Amino acid sequence: MRNRPRRTLTLTTILATAALLAGACGSSGSGEPADSGGPIELTIATFGEFGYEELLREYQANHPNIKVTERKTGKAGPHHQNLIAKLGAGSGLADIEAIEEGHLSNVLDKAARFNDLTQIGPADAGADRWLPWKYEAAKSKDGKLIGYGTDSGPLAMCYRKDLLEAANMPSDPQSVKALFATWESYFQAGQEYVQKSGGKPWFDSAAQNFNAMVNQQEVGYLDRNDKLTLENNPGIKKAWDQVTAAVAQGQSAKLTAFSNEWNSGFKQGAFATKACPAWMIGVIKEQSGPENAGKWAVTDAFPGGGGNWGGSYLSVPTQSKHPKEAAELAAWLTAPEQQLRAFEAKGTFPSQVKALESPRLAAQTEPFFAGEPRIGELFAAQARKIAQPQYKGPGDGQIQENVTAPALQAVEQGTAPAQGWQQLVDGAKKIVG
Amino acid sequence: MTVVQAPRRDAPPAVPPRPSFRQRLSKWDVKFSPYAYIAPFFVVFGLVGLFPLLYTAYVSLYDWEIGDDDPPFVGFENYVQLFGDGQFWNAVGNTLSIFVLSSGPQIVIAVLLAALLNTRLRGPTGWRIGILIPYAASLVAIGIIFANLFGNQYGLLNSILEMAGIDRIDWQAGTLSSHVAIAVMVNWRWTGYNALIVLAAMQAIPKEINEAAVVDGAGPVRRFFSVTLPLLRPTLIFVVITSTIGGLQIFTEPKLFDVGQGSNNGGSSNQFQTVTLYMYQQGFENFDLGYASAIAWVLFLLIVVIALVNFLITRRLAATEGGRR
Amino acid sequence: MTLAVRSGPRPKTAKVAKLGRPNFFVYATLAVFVLGSLFPFYWSFLVASRDSGMLTERVPPLLPGGNFFANAAEVFDSVAFWKSMGNSILVATSVTLTTVLFSSLAGFAFAKLRFRGRDPLFVFIVVTLAVPTQLGVIPLFIAMSELGWAGGLQAVIVPNLVTAFGVFWMRQYTVDAVPYELIEAARVDGCSMIRIFWHVCLPAVRPAAAVLAMFTFMTSWNDFLWPLIVLDAGNPTVQLALEQLQSGYYTNYSLVLAGTTLATIPILIVFLLLGRQIVAGIMQGAVKG
Repeated sequence: MRNRPRRTLTLTTILATAALLAGACGSSGSGEPADSGGPIELTIATFGEFGYEELLREYQANHPNIKVTERKTGKAGPHHQNLIAKLGAGSGLADIEAIEEGHLSNVLDKAARFNDLTQIGPADAGADRWLPWKYEAAKSKDGKLIGYGTDSGPLAMCYRKDLLEAANMPSDPQSVKALFATWESYFQAGQEYVQKSGGKPWFDSAAQNFNAMVNQQEVGYLDRNDKLTLENNPGIKKAWDQVTAAVAQGQSAKLTAFSNEWNSGFKQGAFATKACPAWMIGVIKEQSGPENAGKWAVTDAFPGGGGNWGGSYLSVPTQSKHPKEAAELAAWLTAPEQQLRAFEAKGTFPSQVKALESPRLAAQTEPFFAGEPRIGELFAAQARKIAQPQYKGPGDGQIQENVTAPALQAVEQGTAPAQGWQQLVDGAKKIVG
Repeated sequence: MTVVQAPRRDAPPAVPPRPSFRQRLSKWDVKFSPYAYIAPFFVVFGLVGLFPLLYTAYVSLYDWEIGDDDPPFVGFENYVQLFGDGQFWNAVGNTLSIFVLSSGPQIVIAVLLAALLNTRLRGPTGWRIGILIPYAASLVAIGIIFANLFGNQYGLLNSILEMAGIDRIDWQAGTLSSHVAIAVMVNWRWTGYNALIVLAAMQAIPKEINEAAVVDGAGPVRRFFSVTLPLLRPTLIFVVITSTIGGLQIFTEPKLFDVGQGSNNGGSSNQFQTVTLYMYQQGFENFDLGYASAIAWVLFLLIVVIALVNFLITRRLAATEGGRR
Repeated sequence: MTLAVRSGPRPKTAKVAKLGRPNFFVYATLAVFVLGSLFPFYWSFLVASRDSGMLTERVPPLLPGGNFFANAAEVFDSVAFWKSMGNSILVATSVTLTTVLFSSLAGFAFAKLRFRGRDPLFVFIVVTLAVPTQLGVIPLFIAMSELGWAGGLQAVIVPNLVTAFGVFWMRQYTVDAVPYELIEAARVDGCSMIRIFWHVCLPAVRPAAAVLAMFTFMTSWNDFLWPLIVLDAGNPTVQLALEQLQSGYYTNYSLVLAGTTLATIPILIVFLLLGRQIVAGIMQGAVKG
């Protein structure tokens, strides 16, 4: 008897506490002004290798009132998971959060949770610092700039020189350009290669090419009014037909990017060509191993013009208590000079006009590749070929990751292309719907 | 204890003796100790368990996208939508299929393994550690190991199949093959764990009972079914309920089994997407916290119902076979 | 228990003496299982001691190479391995101690003591097991940052101080392992409840407590998602440190598996210690019969 009221009491207390917490979570973003005299503490959350260690040390030396901590996560996946959870919780984000290009469209939809860098950032971090497509991509629909571009992944084409030679096809960087001029010529060359090599695959997986093809369309999965136009978009349907036809001809090695099998594929020479953003050079080198030195080559051509795959932005969430100082640091880190140093430290390819023009970048070569190509110069040229970015509405990233890639994988696993297309359309409707 | 004087001695014996302080203390002890003993769980739960539970229930009534400031209240619309969602039911089917393929064999093998371990082995600790060690593997290692085992073109299993002259199996592509492969991962990780739980209970059975059965002429198989198994009833109930709950929440293994790194799709056509994977995808990839919360609650109710059914079955089975209790 | 009484002081026959003596078949079956369990670990060590090129070979080598120490040294260079190890040991040890203590106490109460609301409260505890945890990280993080614990180790310790799983397990085991007669006898002797728990119940449930301790330690050691969200990267647990090894677009599997091999060693030590504890608990035969 006696314990019963006590239990109800505890329960009420708990409920009250819970309600209090629930109520409090909405308001916890607004910090108090922090001019208390002590050093300002900034945190920056990155993933993988941004190459900022040395730079941050220097920044603190030049700004004695600022203390910077870098929170590093290994893979992009967990980093963004953490970002989303804390965006949902309303607290806990770093003052500067790195955002990868693939996750950008989702985050742009939540632009209200990020500071407009054109408002709080320093004047020298203007639009003319970056390549236009890199800058524009980080603008929300109402014109807020939510991130400063760091690195980029301009696309070129990498290919196995030895495998093309063995199939009696052109193999030096100048003569292969004709093969990689358009998607038609690329898939035609693929068909020829499959025949001449006795059935060896031409590229690693369908999704890799299809993503690049969709990005080159004027309108992507969604139009500017955020309406799903995929079903009636002739460009996308044509790309689908081309890619799935190539799969039917045996051009795909059916290796999902970054899977273990894909890693092994480099060593085994499982495919002859590879859509090759700047950072892929390092992957090819490490995965293929020294025994394959000199077999890969790269040329400054990409079917259908240019394209970008990967690269990141630095954003300042509204949760930050020192948005102005954070924006200043982010602007400094993404300035051409610093980006060049990050490139030299960890190979993150710059997206800043001045950095791309720098002779230091142009001088970069890669001895692992046949003919020691000047990859700095080559990728800088590819970066300039990229047109204005395609508008990416909310859900675009999810469609690419969770619908398109699996649908193409299903086709590679034996689903009929028409059925795969239906899977794509239905899945996209569900995400946008 | 020094506080406890003995007033009883001085009291006149005529009046019925009032309970001494010591007696009262002892009474309180008996009455309130149980609450003190279970209090830590409820304090911790109140602090860190209750709020998430209520929060999820609350959010599930809103069309709540992460980062929204004023999510619209939609009542039970998320739930209505969920019941008409083909992908959800596909996930429920996958979850049940993987659960049956893993939990069934797992519990049977665990009990048999425990029976073997319960014999007078040389070096018993070594054997126990040997079978429990998969549980110690970190997720990072499990992911790498099984990707290399079940890989389609360069995987170890397919290499062995090819050497034996059998066709390769694209483990990730098929529905059944992927479920079997995931069940293998689950069973590899959890069988030894359950075996050890059962073993601990077997060792609590007094030796005399078994010896008596031997004297009565019961063979080892008969002894196992009529003596050991009925006495394991509380533990078997424990194992069945926990593996039902764990099996229906299965998340890690199907996530790691997908060749796309970090993917929550559960294969190219969601052929091995489980309910928790789907929930996670809705919440953390599609930002749809309201819908994800609704999935969480439906899954919760589903688990409770299935666990209850399994509980009743287990209790009945263990009771009729032994008939001693 | 009635059977035991019936058996009485009958002389042991030869048959009884042979009871439980394993034959070759038992050893062979167990050996197959143990090999199956160990193989992936050995294979991880193989990769860790060679270079990741091994992963692409159709017929992998069977013997370790000589690169393990070089890879291990690189692990120490790349991440705050020792600090993360210290953090994990602190977290896993405190969680294990409190979980075992509180679960045994609660298990004792639920199994052997009579009090109002016992059964509904116990069912409630079991039902909480069925709550899917993945989604809970967002509200839990809100709670932790309101408490000001985010970033500190207490944020990963407190939620696991005692688990529903542990209470459930200890209760189920205690039901049969501790006879009522012993508790009654102790009560008649004037023992307080806590003394009964400590001197009667705990010795009897030692094997179960040791099993729970092993499980709790390992679960805590391998926990990833929650520490990732609530801890600072500067103050990681060992799994978070391992995750940092997989940075960038290219993963060096030899390095990662060298890290996981190193991180498994403390668990093996706990295994060995507690494994003996289980055996010792049984040998004592504290209150059986």
